[in-house]
Amino acid sequence: MNFNPCMKHKLVRKTVRRFAEAELGPIAHDIDRDARFPWEVIEKMRPLNFFGLQVPKEYGGADVDSISYAITIEELSRVCAGIGLCVTVHNSVGAYPIVKFGTGEQKERFLPSLACGERIGAFCLTEANAGSDAGGVETSAVRDGVDYVINGTKIFVTNGGVCGSAIIFAITDPENTRNAASVFIVEKGTPGFTVGEIEDLCGMRANPVSSLFFEDCRVPASNLLGRAGDGLRVGLAALDTGRIGIAAQALGIAQGAYDAALKYAKERHQFRKPIASFQTIQNYLADMATEIDAARLLLYRACAFKDAGQPFGSEAAMAKLYCSSVANRVTSLAVQVLGGYGYSREYDVERYFRDAKVTEIYEGTSEVQRMVIARNLLAQLT
Amino acid sequence: MVSELPWDARTGTLKREMAGGMMNPACKHAMEAALQLKHIHGAHITALTMGPPMAEEVLREAVAMGADRGILLTDKRLAGADTLITSYTLARAIEAVCPHFDLVLCGCSAADSETAQVGPQLAEELGVPGVAYVEQLSIQQGAVVRMQRVADDFLETLEMKLPGLVTLTTSKYAPRYVPLSGVQDAFESGEILTLDADGLGLDPNVVGLKGSPTQILDVFSPTTGKKNIVLKGAPKKIVEQLLEKFDDRIGGAAGKDLKVDEQG
Amino acid sequence: MSEIKSSIWVFGDYRNYFQNRVTLQLLARAVDMAPSIDAEVCAVVFGHEVDEWIGEYIAHGARKVYVIEDPALKQYSVEIYTALMERLALEYRPDIILVGATSFGREFAPRVAKRLGTGLTADCVGLDINESGLLVQTAPSFGGNLLAKIVTPTSRPQMATVRPGTFQEIPHNYEATGEVIRLPLPAGLPEDRVRLIHSERVEQRDQKLEDAAVVVCGGRGMGSKQKFKKLHELARLLDGEVGATRPVVYSDWIGTDALVGQAGRHIRPQVLFSFGISGAIQHTAAVNDSNFIIAVNKNLNATMMKMSDVAIVADANQFCLALIKELKKRIRD
Repeated sequence: MNFNPCMKHKLVRKTVRRFAEAELGPIAHDIDRDARFPWEVIEKMRPLNFFGLQVPKEYGGADVDSISYAITIEELSRVCAGIGLCVTVHNSVGAYPIVKFGTGEQKERFLPSLACGERIGAFCLTEANAGSDAGGVETSAVRDGVDYVINGTKIFVTNGGVCGSAIIFAITDPENTRNAASVFIVEKGTPGFTVGEIEDLCGMRANPVSSLFFEDCRVPASNLLGRAGDGLRVGLAALDTGRIGIAAQALGIAQGAYDAALKYAKERHQFRKPIASFQTIQNYLADMATEIDAARLLLYRACAFKDAGQPFGSEAAMAKLYCSSVANRVTSLAVQVLGGYGYSREYDVERYFRDAKVTEIYEGTSEVQRMVIARNLLAQLT
Repeated sequence: MVSELPWDARTGTLKREMAGGMMNPACKHAMEAALQLKHIHGAHITALTMGPPMAEEVLREAVAMGADRGILLTDKRLAGADTLITSYTLARAIEAVCPHFDLVLCGCSAADSETAQVGPQLAEELGVPGVAYVEQLSIQQGAVVRMQRVADDFLETLEMKLPGLVTLTTSKYAPRYVPLSGVQDAFESGEILTLDADGLGLDPNVVGLKGSPTQILDVFSPTTGKKNIVLKGAPKKIVEQLLEKFDDRIGGAAGKDLKVDEQG
Repeated sequence: MSEIKSSIWVFGDYRNYFQNRVTLQLLARAVDMAPSIDAEVCAVVFGHEVDEWIGEYIAHGARKVYVIEDPALKQYSVEIYTALMERLALEYRPDIILVGATSFGREFAPRVAKRLGTGLTADCVGLDINESGLLVQTAPSFGGNLLAKIVTPTSRPQMATVRPGTFQEIPHNYEATGEVIRLPLPAGLPEDRVRLIHSERVEQRDQKLEDAAVVVCGGRGMGSKQKFKKLHELARLLDGEVGATRPVVYSDWIGTDALVGQAGRHIRPQVLFSFGISGAIQHTAAVNDSNFIIAVNKNLNATMMKMSDVAIVADANQFCLALIKELKKRIRD
């Protein structure tokens, strides 16, 4: 078991960090303040394979290993979590479900434009009355000839305001308890599919999170991902992969906050010494570094299992649960270390603090992650 | 950046493994220039570096950017070389792996010791003409390279026939971003050749630390014991004192002569 | 040729004379070091119509000047000058050769060192003779974060390049005399394989704050927007740029892109003037890469004063005005 990063992963990290610091670094503060999606940077990301990380080469993707993927999301999020979020959601739950469950025809039709970033992907599950309770979804997709007609409203859709295609979780067979739902690919421009207003959120503000409305939205049956009734299977598989991305995102936020706190502690002088020479601050830094390392190892284990073809759902849940809780603890401590400057919106640390919170909420709340882990633990008893 | 003092007083070499190695910025610009030339004229690009085994990463990065292959010169006996011996070793390697080269491109200086000497000395060793601190270059008809640079406040346009050597500044040829598929491919299928002193037929007594005419006696931090000069009094008097002591320093930075005018 | 005395040679780089005085600065250093190794200080001049420089070098410390003068040498040529220096060095065997680290010097010196098979240390910030009579060359290492002391134990000559402004020249002495050794252009010189197609003088190009060799930074201590404006005049006199601290930018005494600080721009000038700045960490973190800091403040204990190389206790505005007045007198255009 080699715990040292290999040369390839070191180079991936440097490559992404260089891009993130040069292109996102100068604007991260302002696009958060103004809740602006930076199309000009997205444009530069397209030829660099950021949008095709988990798409096979034949469709224009880079198809990198999971640890490279995690490193990419981490390094983007370390500078700008909102864009790190855009990229991971696009890859994990916007494109990857099509890679895993799509027919040859669907892959041909949808993957190339997703892989090159021409279209940004989104995944719609949550509704006003259905968050953690995915079974409570009310959006319906009714068969009508060769089409399905979709009606319903999805809320809190990451990338909602800019997506070119969305993967929708809808009820096709209300009577059937186990196979009630199906998953559809809906393209922007389809009549009846409209985008709502961008949400005004505490953090991740560069990401255009919005509601998506489906009013008698007609999609061909060839847009059904998997078979009718496969909704739960496809949805849960998508979320497993998504968890790795979100864990990486949370890790990046934690790392960014920690880096800022460490730098500040070395430069800031009080009582004629750098505050890093005081034991309390040293304890904080030691705790932060240890937790970040532990979170990273949990994440990479989930990645390794996924790439080896082993079941990794519980491990991914552990990674997401732990990375998000570390992000919250570390960012809070980072604000504390920077004191008044940490609380000021002129500096970056309070943004990390705001961004961290949602990582315990979306793509499966921490409570849901615990459910997944417990289910796995208890299943082993029987 | 290096946090610990990487100076091994026993062997008199710098412990390069401790620094997080990365491609020297000026070399990245040279790599970008090579890629642009390749795009216009078609070319085979060989990236060459001398260093510890972990320097392979820099070659993988070069291949990820678009180089056709990488050559790693690595051998403990080559370590500790100063610029004279470094240029000698690099020249032998180039003659061995790419004897019919047309153009050698280098970054003008390395970020670690910034001597900017290896380029000119390498040209000498290879017996080809060379120009340093070039900002822009192009290949003309008849295998001639045309170069532009600003040297000592002169804007110069120069030409030389290939084969030749050019060192580039960082003012142009901003290095392109490396696509992630490039990184992937560089590791999966990239061609990296490793050579050591024996492979090149080098005499260990001539290369590395042993062969270097200069020797480092000591490495130390400049800020230890920083004492400053305090000047007090009437502003006019302080100005005179300041300029008396530091007119060359200030003038040198400003590019102006601040000496007292004899006639004034 | 019986050379009893050892010698220190300084290459005469006279392009851009007046602005570029590095040769005179090296002569001064050579004069300082010569007694410890009982050496003679010599200058080496190649070119055409060079009498003025010969005179200057003798007036600034050279006891001997080797001259090769020919119309063919009018333009500086790395290849030709390298060949000339190589022949001279092989014939007269100097102990030390010093070259100014101009663009030309930085290409010329390594080639000469290579030809002579000797070592060269670039951009020295210090040159001394140690107890063993060796030239100790102090030069930056690791991107300038560290300094290294280097010697050339056996190879000769010992060579070093030095940046302009490192050493102080000695006041000229036009009464001084020196031997001028005029040598003919040697036969069989190589043809220059690099052709100079075009050369023209350039005006100082547009500088960014981050690239400026001289930066004048101002803080609240300047007093008012009107008084702060004087810093622009000072900067102009020194071909530098103006930077400012956060409070100054917020008070609208200058535009936001002059902000030097963690939330603004990071500078690394050769000389930084810091006027009326206390030195909050957000600012000092962005200026501590400066080579040489001159701080002006009424408070000697301000952080910026402690960080500086020269701490001037005075009213920032008054000092600025006095400095501008004196510089205007001295700067020849």
